[in-house]
Parts: sequence; structure tokens; C-alpha cells
Amino acid sequence: MLDATIGKRPGFVRRVFQSLRLPLNDPFAVFGLSIYGLFVLTAIFADQIAPYDPTEILYTPDYMLAADLRPGEDGHILGTTSLGRDIFSQIVHGSRSALLIGLTAAFMVALIGSIVGVVSGYFRGWIDIVLMRLADIAFGIPFLPFVIVLAAFLQPSIWNVVIAMALVLWRDTARVIRSQVLTLRSRGYVDAARVAGSSDMKIILRHIAPNILPMSFLYGSIAIGWAILTEASISFLGFGDPQSISWGYMLQDAFASQALAKQAYYWFVPPGVCIILVVSAGFFITRGYENILFPKLGR
Amino acid sequence: MPHLKAAISRTLQLALVLWAVVTILFLMFRLMPGNPMAAYIDPTFTLEQQQALMAQFGLDKPLWEQYFIYIGNLLQGELGQSFRYREPVATRIWALLPNTLILTFSSLILAYTFGILAGAYLAWKRGGVVENAAIPLVLTTRAMPEFWLGMVLLAIFSFNLGWFPAGGTRPAGASYDSLWALYTSREFLSYLALPALTLAIYSQGLPLLLMRSNMLDVMKEDFVTMARIKGLSNWTVVVRHAARNALLPVMTSFAIAVGYQLQGNVVVESVFSWPGLGRELVNAVSASDYPLAQGAFLMIAVVVILMNLIADLLYALLDPRISHA
Amino acid sequence: MTETLLSVRDLRVSYKVGASRIDAVDGASFDVPRGTIVGLVGESGCGKTTIAKALTRVIADNASITGGQMMFEGRDLVSLSERQMNALRWREIAFIPQSAMNSLDPVYTVESQLNEVLRRRGGLGRREARKRCEELFELVGIDKGRLSDYPHQFSGGMRQRVAIALALALNPKLVIADEPVTALDVIVQRQILDQLRELQAALGISVIIVTHDISVVAYICDRTVVMYAGKVAEAGSMQATLTEPSHPYTMGLRNAFPDLQGAASGTLTPIEGAPPNLAFPPPGCRFAPRCPFVLETCRQVNPPLETVGPNHVAACHRAGEAVELRTQAARVDTWSGKVLA
Repeated sequence: MLDATIGKRPGFVRRVFQSLRLPLNDPFAVFGLSIYGLFVLTAIFADQIAPYDPTEILYTPDYMLAADLRPGEDGHILGTTSLGRDIFSQIVHGSRSALLIGLTAAFMVALIGSIVGVVSGYFRGWIDIVLMRLADIAFGIPFLPFVIVLAAFLQPSIWNVVIAMALVLWRDTARVIRSQVLTLRSRGYVDAARVAGSSDMKIILRHIAPNILPMSFLYGSIAIGWAILTEASISFLGFGDPQSISWGYMLQDAFASQALAKQAYYWFVPPGVCIILVVSAGFFITRGYENILFPKLGR
Repeated sequence: MPHLKAAISRTLQLALVLWAVVTILFLMFRLMPGNPMAAYIDPTFTLEQQQALMAQFGLDKPLWEQYFIYIGNLLQGELGQSFRYREPVATRIWALLPNTLILTFSSLILAYTFGILAGAYLAWKRGGVVENAAIPLVLTTRAMPEFWLGMVLLAIFSFNLGWFPAGGTRPAGASYDSLWALYTSREFLSYLALPALTLAIYSQGLPLLLMRSNMLDVMKEDFVTMARIKGLSNWTVVVRHAARNALLPVMTSFAIAVGYQLQGNVVVESVFSWPGLGRELVNAVSASDYPLAQGAFLMIAVVVILMNLIADLLYALLDPRISHA
Repeated sequence: MTETLLSVRDLRVSYKVGASRIDAVDGASFDVPRGTIVGLVGESGCGKTTIAKALTRVIADNASITGGQMMFEGRDLVSLSERQMNALRWREIAFIPQSAMNSLDPVYTVESQLNEVLRRRGGLGRREARKRCEELFELVGIDKGRLSDYPHQFSGGMRQRVAIALALALNPKLVIADEPVTALDVIVQRQILDQLRELQAALGISVIIVTHDISVVAYICDRTVVMYAGKVAEAGSMQATLTEPSHPYTMGLRNAFPDLQGAASGTLTPIEGAPPNLAFPPPGCRFAPRCPFVLETCRQVNPPLETVGPNHVAACHRAGEAVELRTQAARVDTWSGKVLA
């Protein structure tokens, strides 16, 4: 009976989109979404956009190493690195690892956080106590040092960031989702569905999931920023993947190659600006949710 | 005294968290690939040193026994020998902790002073041009990689303008009679300025936005209107009543920010070659100096957890509704 | 004792809401004689609280006083500079808020909040202020040992006493009490009102009580000002306005409340309908749409305030037939509303 009425509601996918309520009338949100769009396109067409292979060591027409060229010299839009690599091409390819890390980490954080939050809030009891104590412990782990220590055991790889985020940063999402589920539960219809004989799984998928999705999405988009910032820090500290070009790697390369002393702003400013753009795009989209910027305070 | 009970239970809860973190750390370093003894013994140690450490940490005993020995050693502040420095890890860490704390607190005091004032100002001037420009700007500072900001400041103020030294805590070859003499010297301040400013620029967003939104809420309260009806000066109304009430959660956030800042320190200390815990952690991990890495991590974790506790206690202390329940 | 302390003439206060302007107070006039308690009564949204706030000139950001006078001892409060007005606040005109819980600052002790007024506004020294604090607590009947308590440590009634002590701190000439007992239960309401009356008589001050509850007026006030939709409907001595009301709205209000003694005399009859939207007020008498005695003129011509008896004015076209209307108004079916036993 109850299921029949539920069936008449708009489809699951449509409800999700409706409930996300992407704030298209807010100029900041539009700005943020445009930046996301721009970077996604750049990542997809990186091979077409970048004039050079980002790791290729280039030479000038007179067979000299094309090192430390200034922007514009020899057609290098942003100049070259001390090793003779094209900076613009590195920026373009950097968007790939940024988005890859950002989206994967965001997905993991949102997924794990949501599952823990839903299980905790829905089943309550001892499972809730155990999971929330685990969240307490995760809150006691200093995140960046944890990623660094992890890097000591695993091969240097940008995926360490994703693993560490999945292991530690689910805590914020989980707490918020849990309290949302508790609120949802208190509104009778979960109990009504139970009485009507729906299974827990069915109730969670039909009634709980669509309602918490916006919040998962929100925390996911915040996590994109965290992931990109963390990846940059880790790469900068030299624990990144030397094989893949990321903005953090570029900054480490520049720092180690004395770009600061050489006043090579064209080298280390663009990667930083790209990071700021992508991360702040996430903030702008979620503007108004100020407390989300401060996950530690939302307790 | 119900708040005393709450404080004790919170303390116990955080002690439990600390124990869990310590255990995770133990398992991570014991279960890592390769020789399980690698966590404490460097092949280049002399045979006697190796045997002494074997005995001290019970490395030839079963894992569960090692665990109790490990906990016992920790409680005595015994963290093993650093591979690189050939000295006890604890000694090394205690020597670095002041540098890290000085950097953390000076940057946070700067950030909070600015953030609280600017946040209160923005709340007061709600809806103006200033606010429309300031909020996106503040969000942008939150989106910056801290080390990148440090690089930019270094390139400009140190390498280009030459106003500040490029890194470290003291001029090469300089020696001071005591740590106190170092920390109070003018040179030290010039070394401290850029890293502290870097961290402060990143951190001011938190107190600023928090103060602003709290102020906006408090300004709507009846007691603020009443203060105006009482004919109190605008200053008294805004500062003594609105700001004092809005400040409460901001002050609490300070303690949490200290714990949080320690993480940012890791990268910023590396940029400015600041001899602190974070940079030591990075160097230790790079050099596979596992005992030192473990010790530095543990110390950071202890400060983070301690600061969470202080935040809770501070809140109870500052809010008469809790402290005078 | 008919000397007038405060004389409000043709007061207008408007709110800007979006593009439109709403006259929350639309030409209100009334007097507050020295040493009396005046009840400003009406339904919520009639403008009574706006008048109370306007008298202190602390009004909402989107509100402004657009006309009229508030003559207080020969000075027009409307035209005083902010500085001059501020000098008057609390020293001569004090305020008792509806909810003392929200209007006391939670982070300071009660003594510190009394001190703030005594020292910053009253210019008292530390020792004098302390003495005055104890005096004030004695006056309102709270043990002076509780001066160092925080607001949340008091009960609702006690907090209201603290608010009274605070209002009396600087010996004001006029105290405005905005729904001073609304949040309290009936027994505490009476205690607080009794105390207010006592203190008012002893100190010889004037009090304006803003209330929606006509039984509060009947219990404590000397004079009544009945407000409806931003205008004064009827004003006069409490006896005259409540025993011989000349405006149908006053008659209706009287039916709608039990008296404070608790003895419900007869039945309670609410007035059907709701006050008009002040963004689009009706053209004639504003009460016309709800009035059981409405005439055609009522819908077109706004009745002016006219004298209907000694010291008694009302704004009704049918004020001359008041005696007849009163008998009709006493009948429940006149109001054709639901009857609450």
C-alpha cells in the first residue's frame, strides 16, 4: 500500500537533482560551476591543448637545453622549467591529476561518510556507539602528518592522499549525515514504512538516501578542495608520485630549483592560482554553508 | 557540580582517543614491510646499541608483549633512539617543540586579533561594498595552499626586497646564551615574521567568518536592543554586549585552531626551514628515521587532542550558562 | 493631579518593507498624566509596541518616525538630536521588556548589568552603585545575595523583578513596560503587577503598560488607550473606557478576556476576523470590516477622535448611540463568533 504511493513520487534520479537545488541564480555559484567546467574540459582535452609533453626535456633550435626560458621566449607561453620542460603544458596536464585525485577522494569521503552516518543513525544502539567512537578517534588523528607517515610505508604515490582521506576524513561527513538521519527517523514515516513491512534496506534506499544526498554532495565538493590541497602539500614535501605531473609537483620542482631566488614568478604563481581557483570554486558553490568550511567546529 | 562531571567524562573520552592513536601508531610501525625491528634499529648502530634497544623495546618478544613494553616506555617518555641524530627521540622532540609552539601561537594570535576585529567590523557594516568584496577574498585565502603563499611571500619580501631572511631561526653562526635570549632577540623576530604571517593569512578566515556570523546573530538579540534603550554608548553596545557574546565560540575555536595549525605547520616549516616538529617529521620520514617520525607524529597528535580538550573546558569556563549552572 | 508628563500628538511611524511603506502607527494621539499608569491596549500588530519603542527612539532599522510630536516635559522627543535623546534614555525614560530572559545579557551578572546603568548612565561611584544595587533589590523583593547571580539562574518571575529594578535604577519619570507579564503564569502576573503598582505609587512615577490583555488594564491602569490598526480607537480613564466603552472595538475586547481575578464573568467572545493589512488599509473606519454595527459612512469616512464624556474620547461614528450599542454588544450573537465557555 505504502509502496504504491511511493511509486508515484518523482523518480529517484529526478528527486536527487531536485534536492541538490544547484544555486544557479547565485552569481558566485555560477562562477564556481564555470571554473569546474573549464577545468574538466582542460583535463579531458589536455593532450590537444598542451603544446608539449609535460615531461619532455626540450631544446632550443640551436640545440641548447631550453631551460629557464621566460614567458613568451621561443613560443613557451609560460616559459620553461630549469630542466627545460614547458610550464604551460605542465599546468594543463596538472588539471588531470587534480581532478582525478579530487573526484576520487571526494567520492570516497562522501561514500564512506554517508554509509557510516546512515548505518549509525538508522540502526543506532551499539553499532552507533562503536562507529561514533571510531569517528572520535579519526578526529584525534592529525591528517597531514598521517598522510606523510603513510607515505613512509607505501610507495610514493598520489593515491596515498586518497587512501588517507578515505581512512580519516569520512568523520565530518559521517557526523553530519548521522544527525540528519536521526532527524529523518524522528519524522514518523520510517516507522510507518517498517510497520508496512518494508525491509531496512528498502527504507534506507527509498526514504533516507534521497534526503541525505544533498548533504553528501556538499561534503563531497568540499572534499574535492581538501584533496587537491592535500595532494599539493604532499607532492610539495616530496612524497608525491614523481611520474605524474601535478600542480603540487610543479611547486616542489620550482622550490627545489631555486625559482624563488631566480624570481621566476611565471613558474610558481600559475600552479598556485590554479589550485586556488579549483578549491575556491568548491567554496563558492557551497557558499552560505559557512560551517562546512570549518568541519572541526561543526561538533 | 554537573560541569565537573562532564569535564571528567570528556577527559576520559579523549584519553581513550589518545590510547587508540598510540595503538594505531604501534601497529603501523610494527606491521610495515620489511624487518619488524626496522622501527627501532638502524643497521649502522653499533652491536651494543642494537642489543640495548632490543632489550629496551623487547623486539625479540611476541607482538602483544612488545605492545605492553611500548606503552610502558611511552608512559616514561621513552621513544627510542633517532637513527640520524644518534640521540634519544624525546630529547630531540622537546628541543623542537618550543619552535613549533612559538610559530603556531604567534601566527594564531595575529590571525585571531585581525579576524575578530575584521569579522566584527564586517558584521557591523553588513551589506556594504566592503562585505561584498571581503567575503570572496576571505574564502580565497582559505583555498590557498599555505606553502604556496609562503613561497610567494618569500620570493617577494626575502629574495626581491631583502626585508626578511629566507629561512631558519637565527643568523648563521650566531649563538645565544639561552633559548630565552634567542626568542627575545630582534633577529629571531625577523626570522619569525614571514612564516608567522603566512600561517596567519591562512588562519584568519576562520575567526573572521565565525565572528561575523555570530555578531550578526547577536545583534538581533533583545539584550542588544535593550542596551541601546538604556542609552549606552554605541561602543558599549557593540563591544561590551554584542562582541562579548559573539566572542565566546570564537575563543573556543582558538584551541581547535592550534591543533589544526600544527598540520599546516608541517608544510610551512619546510618552506621556511623552520626547525620545528613538522619539518622534523617530514625529514624523518624522508630519511627513514622511523623512531623520530613516530615521536614527532605522536607529539603532534597529543597537542591536537589536548587542544580539543582545552576547547571544551574553555567553553564551559567562558560561558556562565555552563559554568554557573 | 492632571499635569501632563507626556503628550503624544498625531504620531506616525512607518516601516519600509520592500518597495512599500507601512504606517504601523498612523496619527496616534494620547496623554500620560504625571503619576498615573496608562494602559496601551490592542491586538498584536495594532502599533502599540511600535509606539513604546518609538518613545525611546530605538526602533528597527527599516522603521522611521515620519510625523507628529512626543512632548515630554516640554521637549519634543521626535525632534531631539540623537545626543539629546540619549541623555534622556533610562535617566528619564526607562523600559521593562517583555522577556527579561532575552533582554538581560547572559554573560554578565545581574549586579554587573545594574552597575553598567548606574555607573555609565547614572555617574555613580563604585561604592554608591553597590549600595544602590542592594537598595533596588530590596525594593523589588529579591535577596541581595543574589546580585552576583547570572540571569539564567533566576526564575521567570524573579527575572521580571530584576528587569523592574533595572528600570527604576536611575529614578526615571516614565517607565514603559512592554507586555511585562505576558510570559508569566497568572499568579506571578498578579504579584508582579501588584509590585509595579506599589512602586509606581511610592515613587510617584508614570508608567505606560503595553498589553494585549485588557484584564491587565482593568487590574492596574488609571487610564486606557485602545489602539486599533495604527490608530487610537478610544481613550480615557480606565473606569470610563471599560465600564462605558464607546467604541465597538473596546466593547469587543472586553468580551474577549477573562478578568485577572480569574472569575470569568459570563462567556468569552472573540472578535471575528483579523486586523487589516496596513499596507492596504480600508478607506473609512479601520474597524468597519469587523464591526457588527457598521454603517455605510463607516466604510467611507474615517471617524475622528471626539469627546464622548469627561476625559473620554472615542473615534466612532456611532459614539452617540453608545448606550444602545453596549447592550447589543453584551449579547454573544451580536459577534456571531464561536462561544468559548
